Parts: sequence; C-alpha cells; structure tokens
Amino acid sequence: MKTKITFYRNKLGITQEDLGNLVGVTRQTIISLEQGKYNPSLELASKITKALKRKYIEEVFKV
Amino acid sequence: MKKQNKNIPPREIARYAFAIFVILLGVYFDYMDISDQFLGFSSVGSWLTYVGFVMIAVITLQLFYTKKRVVDERMIFVANKAMRMTFLALVLFAFLIIILDGIKTTTITTPYHLFMSYLICGLMIVYFISYKILLRFY
Repeated sequence: MKTKITFYRNKLGITQEDLGNLVGVTRQTIISLEQGKYNPSLELASKITKALKRKYIEEVFKV
Repeated sequence: MKKQNKNIPPREIARYAFAIFVILLGVYFDYMDISDQFLGFSSVGSWLTYVGFVMIAVITLQLFYTKKRVVDERMIFVANKAMRMTFLALVLFAFLIIILDGIKTTTITTPYHLFMSYLICGLMIVYFISYKILLRFY
C-alpha cells in the first residue's frame, strides 16, 4: 500500500518516534508503514491520519 | 490531602499483596502444622513461604529493570503468522515421524518425556526464528 506518511510527517516536522508515540505503535511499525510493507488496520490508519492533521484517510493511504 | 503514590503502579501493589498473602499462608500452615491434613504434603507451608519470597524478589526486580514495552498490531499480526507457521511445522514433523516409523524396521524407542521435551523446545525455536524472520518482512 502506498502511503504519504513520510511527506506529511516531514511537513509537520515530527520524527518517526514521535509519530509512533502519538498513535501508540513502535518506530519499526512506522518504518514498515512508510515503506509500504505493512497494511494497517482501519483504526491505526485513522489514528495516523488524525496525528498527521489530515481530514481523510485517503489523503494519507492510497490503495 | 491524600498523598498519592506515583512510584508503584496499582498492579504491582496487588502482586505484592498476593505475595505477602502467600507467605502468611505458608507461615500459618507451618505454625499450625496442618499442611498434610488437607493438602497431602507436610512441606507445603515452607514451600508457600519460599514461593512468596521469590514472588517478592521477582516483582521488585521487574519494577526496577523492566522497560515499558509497546505491543502494537503489527507485532500481534507477526506473532499470529509465526504461530501458524509453527503449527504447520508441527504437522509436517508429525507426518515425517509417521513416514520414518513406517520405513524403519525397528520401532522408535525414544522415551516419552524426552520426546516431549525435544518437541516443545523445537517448537519454541521454530516459533522464535519464524517470528524474528517475519518481523523483517512486515
């Protein structure tokens, strides 16, 4: 799954560790998500979208 | 004003309370000499006291040295996948044993306890290795 996590994260100026702490996952999980290795659950996708201050999940995650 | 204890979490306080209860139960059994009357073993009192002290030691060590670990959905996903792989390995291993038993002219004479020990250790190793490998792929 393609994601724009890195783009929005850099825009906000937060690290992978910070984002992980915000959504309650490890840094390794954020790395996997950014690399498109792991497909998140709807709950996690929603949390990440909120943490990145986006309105819609589709803005961050693209199937 | 009530002073709150911020150092020891409530779960640990409950564990300490249980350990103290176990020690007191052990001391009571020993003092009254009633262990063998309804538990069957006269050494149960001493054993409970010992276990209680070990519990206190373990809780204290965990309190000081255990880091707060985050278990997220990716880890659970990988753990479930590793579990499935371990189960598959167990089925394949059982199948191999049946084949080997059929091929061999002599019967397999490994003692049961030894076989079970090897099997459990083998499954744990398979689970651990598959978990570590799968973490790299997800």
